[in-house]
Amino acid sequence: MKLKHLIAIVLFSVAGYNSFAQYNNLVIPDTISGTTFNLNLKDTFKQFLPGNQTVTGGINSDFWGPTLLFNKGDTVHMNVHSYMNDSTTVHWHGMHLPAVMDGGPHQIIPPGTVWQPYWLVTNQAATYWYHPHLHQMAEQQMTTGLGGFIIVRDAEEAALALPRTYGVDDIPLALTSRNFDATNAFLCCTRAYGDTGMVNGTLHPQVTLPKQYVRLRILNAEMERGYNLGFSDNRSFYIIANDGGLLNAPVSATRIKLLVGERAEIMVDLGGDAVGSSIDLVAYNAGQEFGFGGGEPSATGNFGSLLNNRNFNVLHINVGATTAGAITSVPATLASNTYLTTADATVSRTVTVTDGTPGPGGLPFQFDHTLYNFDTINKTVVLGTTEKWTVINNNVFGHAFHIHDVEFKIVSRSSHPVGAYEGGWKDVFYLQVNDTVTFVAKFNDYADPIHPFMYHCHFAPHEDGGMMQQFVVVDATGVGNTEKPSGDFNLYPNPAGNKLNISLTDPAMQVYYITITNSQGRTMCMLPRPQLGNGIDISAYAPGVYFLQLTDEKTKQSMIKKFVKE
Amino acid sequence: MNRSIFSTVCAVVLTAAAVFASSFTVADNKVVSDFKLKNVDGKLVSLKDFPDAKGFIIVFTCNHCPFAKLYPPRLNALNDQYKKLGVPVIAISSSDTVLYDEDSYPKMVEKAREEHFNFPYLYDNQQTAVRNFGAQKTPHAFVVWKENGKWVVKYNGAIDDNGADPSKVSHRYVADAVDALLAGKEVAARKTRSIGCQINLRK
Repeated sequence: MKLKHLIAIVLFSVAGYNSFAQYNNLVIPDTISGTTFNLNLKDTFKQFLPGNQTVTGGINSDFWGPTLLFNKGDTVHMNVHSYMNDSTTVHWHGMHLPAVMDGGPHQIIPPGTVWQPYWLVTNQAATYWYHPHLHQMAEQQMTTGLGGFIIVRDAEEAALALPRTYGVDDIPLALTSRNFDATNAFLCCTRAYGDTGMVNGTLHPQVTLPKQYVRLRILNAEMERGYNLGFSDNRSFYIIANDGGLLNAPVSATRIKLLVGERAEIMVDLGGDAVGSSIDLVAYNAGQEFGFGGGEPSATGNFGSLLNNRNFNVLHINVGATTAGAITSVPATLASNTYLTTADATVSRTVTVTDGTPGPGGLPFQFDHTLYNFDTINKTVVLGTTEKWTVINNNVFGHAFHIHDVEFKIVSRSSHPVGAYEGGWKDVFYLQVNDTVTFVAKFNDYADPIHPFMYHCHFAPHEDGGMMQQFVVVDATGVGNTEKPSGDFNLYPNPAGNKLNISLTDPAMQVYYITITNSQGRTMCMLPRPQLGNGIDISAYAPGVYFLQLTDEKTKQSMIKKFVKE
Repeated sequence: MNRSIFSTVCAVVLTAAAVFASSFTVADNKVVSDFKLKNVDGKLVSLKDFPDAKGFIIVFTCNHCPFAKLYPPRLNALNDQYKKLGVPVIAISSSDTVLYDEDSYPKMVEKAREEHFNFPYLYDNQQTAVRNFGAQKTPHAFVVWKENGKWVVKYNGAIDDNGADPSKVSHRYVADAVDALLAGKEVAARKTRSIGCQINLRK
């Protein structure tokens, strides 16, 4: 009897210890709200494993970055300050904004530079994200941990009874995986899939969620792996939002597939669970169709990993006490989206996945046999046009197709009927093997013949390998209107103290871009379409000679003037 | 009988010597050449300026790298401990200062003053020393030893095995190597992987 008790106690404490040692508490990224957002990108380090720390990239943190809370209708101003060793870019994934603010491969931020894009938030309430987008460096820089969530809120979403207490019943989950070498450094980029899963930079994560409906904002932040997510007891949950907004009505499901870059907001009911019980969010990745990233059966090699072709736990959820104001039901209707249809489209385009021949001398995946070229505009879209794009993949592997500038509506899919789970506004979709997907999008508001937007496969190795192309949106009425000579400008005071002012000789002149460099050629700041009313803050600059390059909005011609900082 | 024992012993000794020699070649007995680089005090420093040195702890480091930033107190401690035993610390920054403003010479001078460096901090602006040693990361340590008038690399790699938390260090690779060499023994761990930021070499 006593012995039995003793054994029970020993077993219990062993089990208790194991569960304690097995899980780490999920990191919930800090939030920033308001209209001015300071993001400091830096090389740093984080303790992932026992022993040495792992060199990482962080944004205001040691891995990943803060969650930016935007309100639709606000103009948000970003101060992106790079303290990194490398040049980088920061792309606002899913945001509808001017191309010069987009943070694609052209808006390169040199080390030590502040980049200050801003835009009016017109996106619907949903979960977006930001991440580096420097061509051929995206995988490496994302692997270090650079990135973060954006949550857009709007009146329509606010009027609904949905969980929205961040970190309590509204939880962002960035799913990814990594490989560590013998010194605990991240391995990049020979293997497409990590052996060690992580959520928000937490290995073996656990989180306590209240006994009620909770909302999970799930992002596939992988390099190439897909996730076929469900709960360990196969319970149903509700998909309430796609990449770019709430669905018209919740969609009940037991699984949801998210390929790289895709987001979904789901609501799951923990109201029937006992406090103290637990449930796992699981990647049911065993036995996926060929071409699903991470479905390859090998455990090793460039396309293998310990998590491949198997089911694995993503997040351990412990059920805690119900909170005040708990959400106990899912609204029957969520939004009243008016979706675009094929009939709205006046231009049709086709993009075909080609190449991707394996082995030495093989060609990387590309669109229409055309690798990404920094200086080539592959497509020109006229502002205000609704277009139908058909993406064809009769090739050897799956892809995650992403297009910048717009949220689109998938109107057809050859592999299976368009699912209700992907029936909302999207900016990434899973392009299976032997799949033809057609979507409709309207290219509104922002024309710019100089700075292109991208469309690409969001598998980082594919994108870096050149499976990316560029389009510009042009204003049909303004194209080629470069006859007007550029105006001139003056800098004052010169020498300057803390503020540098600019006066334009022609009051109708608009400024497209300002870049200030020091006498060594180091870029101090990059100001797309700057608002110059209050001058430019140069208080942090060392005394010396600087050069200000101003590009005219209409003519796109650049002029350089020198000034002295006292 | 005696002769046969003797010859067996000889054979064993020869085999052992051969194994020893081959393990030595494997362990990379690289000879590095001297350098002449500007210190933060403005003076040029070379290895030959230390005629009494038995060896050196040479650490490639820089200002900006978050991992390099963890080590100045440990470098001061290593120099305190080993300089008096004839093995001084020399730190070298080979960082590309065009790429990284924080690693410029004036900022190195500031850093050495702020962190009270008790060892030379040299500016390898032509990146000759880093190429000679083959340093990869900041920090990347080398223990070199004087053998027949030459400088032989006896240890190459990390300073120790925990950057952020000195209390959790379980292997002080550099100190262990110097202790072994001072005791006339072979270094157990001749090579580890250095951890930190890549030193970008200009073409």
